[in-house]
Amino acid sequence: MDNSWIRQNVALKEAHAELLTLTATRNQSMRATWLDPVSGRQELVIVEVCQERFPSLTSVLPEVAWDEREIHDVFGYVPEGHPNPRPLLRTPRWPENFRPLRERPDVRPTWQDADPDNPALTVEGNGVTVMKVGPTHAGIIESGHFVFSLMGENVLHLDTHLFQNHRGVESLLESQTVDGVASIVTRICAADTVSHQTNWALAVEALSGYEAEAAVSLGRVVLLESERVLSHLNDLAQIPAGVGFQVAHQQALAMKEDWQRGLQGMYGHRFLFDTVRPGWVAPPDPENLLRLVYALRRAWTPWQHLVEGHHGFNDRMADVGVTTHADVVRFGGQGVVSRAAGKGFDARTLLPLYQDLRPVPVVESGGDVRARFNVRVREVEASLRLIEDAAARLRRETAAGDIPWSPQDGHSGQVAVYTESPHGLNVHDVTMDNGRVVRYHIRAATYRNWPLLAHAVPGNAVADFPLINKSFELCYSCADR
Amino acid sequence: MSHIRHSLQIRHVDAGSCNGCEQELTALTSAAYDFQHVGLDWVASPRHADALLVTGPMSDPMVRPVERVWAAIPSPKWRIAFGDCAAGCGVFQPAYGTHGGLPEADLVIRGCPPEPGAALQQLRDAMRSTTPPQS
Repeated sequence: MDNSWIRQNVALKEAHAELLTLTATRNQSMRATWLDPVSGRQELVIVEVCQERFPSLTSVLPEVAWDEREIHDVFGYVPEGHPNPRPLLRTPRWPENFRPLRERPDVRPTWQDADPDNPALTVEGNGVTVMKVGPTHAGIIESGHFVFSLMGENVLHLDTHLFQNHRGVESLLESQTVDGVASIVTRICAADTVSHQTNWALAVEALSGYEAEAAVSLGRVVLLESERVLSHLNDLAQIPAGVGFQVAHQQALAMKEDWQRGLQGMYGHRFLFDTVRPGWVAPPDPENLLRLVYALRRAWTPWQHLVEGHHGFNDRMADVGVTTHADVVRFGGQGVVSRAAGKGFDARTLLPLYQDLRPVPVVESGGDVRARFNVRVREVEASLRLIEDAAARLRRETAAGDIPWSPQDGHSGQVAVYTESPHGLNVHDVTMDNGRVVRYHIRAATYRNWPLLAHAVPGNAVADFPLINKSFELCYSCADR
Repeated sequence: MSHIRHSLQIRHVDAGSCNGCEQELTALTSAAYDFQHVGLDWVASPRHADALLVTGPMSDPMVRPVERVWAAIPSPKWRIAFGDCAAGCGVFQPAYGTHGGLPEADLVIRGCPPEPGAALQQLRDAMRSTTPPQS
């Protein structure tokens, strides 16, 4: 076995690099792409799969535990030495030799006549209760299955069974042309759609050697930040709902609704679907953007005073669902979850897209629900300032996207591109051959953060799970694909 | 749907949606749409429901849970497909992990995702219609 695979990856982790993707191809090879968080330089580490096996990194790099289980499920390559190699996406309903990314499935599989549940990891012993929640839920929420081991009110262990929403997006993207990809990528996740769309545009532009003009980049920044405001408003509405603070919940939902109506007026869609494509961005409307920001601030300031001045609410969030800085680093946590625990990484500081707008990462140290709430509050304010700054610049620029650039036929190559979605570092690893996709791997921030949620919950009362869950607010669809 | 002229209680199940439909379903409960005001509500148990509302293209792991929720709803009952994916015409229809949306829907609310104002109107129209229950 090739030990340099382990040695090189561990060395990069020890040098504080961020793992962009760890993925496989059907040609018996695997690659890990790392990002230097200061210079933005990427490092590629490659290993050949040998007799259907590859050396597992999980025992030394626990953040890739899921990636390796997924590779086993969809390619059939065995992670040798993985401490817990149970299925992740695979269910008892999958046909025995079904490896969806190994051979391209031309027909749908013949599903087995079985229940979809995999065995759960639970705690055994006197007085331990096992509580199963989901996959269907009592409220309006995406589907996920959670198995709690409880001692009285306290959570001893949480086993998450996600991928109930697994559609097979990566397989669907294979052999699509440039035109076919956009409408699919837009709909991977409604909360992070602009980030996914922008990744696809950046991938095609990088493979074509095209550099977007300043007005196009600014138009994309406006959309990315508008999406962050929208997603954070949603989360800031949900956290008070988790403790029964209905006034703050309803007022935040009202701000979100006004924001969505404003975006719909400018871009024709309440979630900004289909607003970014290779070489193109939906034309921004600087005057109305500034008006929308102004209108939001008028509602935002009294709301902010309400939530910040409410001692009961702040006490309720303090020291609940703590994620430590050490865990965030060890598990490669991303986005709000990691910045709330003192890790200052924000991919926007590395993106040429933001040019001289100079976004500054918002960092808190508590790692609890309150820190995650506060990071979102401050990020909304920072995003509003970025939108104002970009809109002011756009007023001076010539109109963007008048003559859209079209990618030329037949470009080939592999590239890892990323943006900072509302949930954190969102990576697309794209391989194209002669204008068609041959491999499309999506690594959203939530995929890294789900295992952290499972670590943050034990030690808390089970009744606090909804609050902790809402403070992470991880989209299932980004992770499940 | 004459039985539900004044009140329609709905159980929601996500079967592979992108969360856009869920966010718009949540918006229906906000002050802007206030759908409880016209007799609509989400219920936590299928036993309390008049209708099953499904979002998403029917991901394979959700096929059986959806069947079980449907079986637990007392008759007369209705199936509502919410959004293009559940309606069987979304972008994920060809994906291997999907089953073509919700079959035999009594009410189909199109859109990607449906706009809450339009969705509320369709729900109210269905409540007023006299179509007999299918199940």
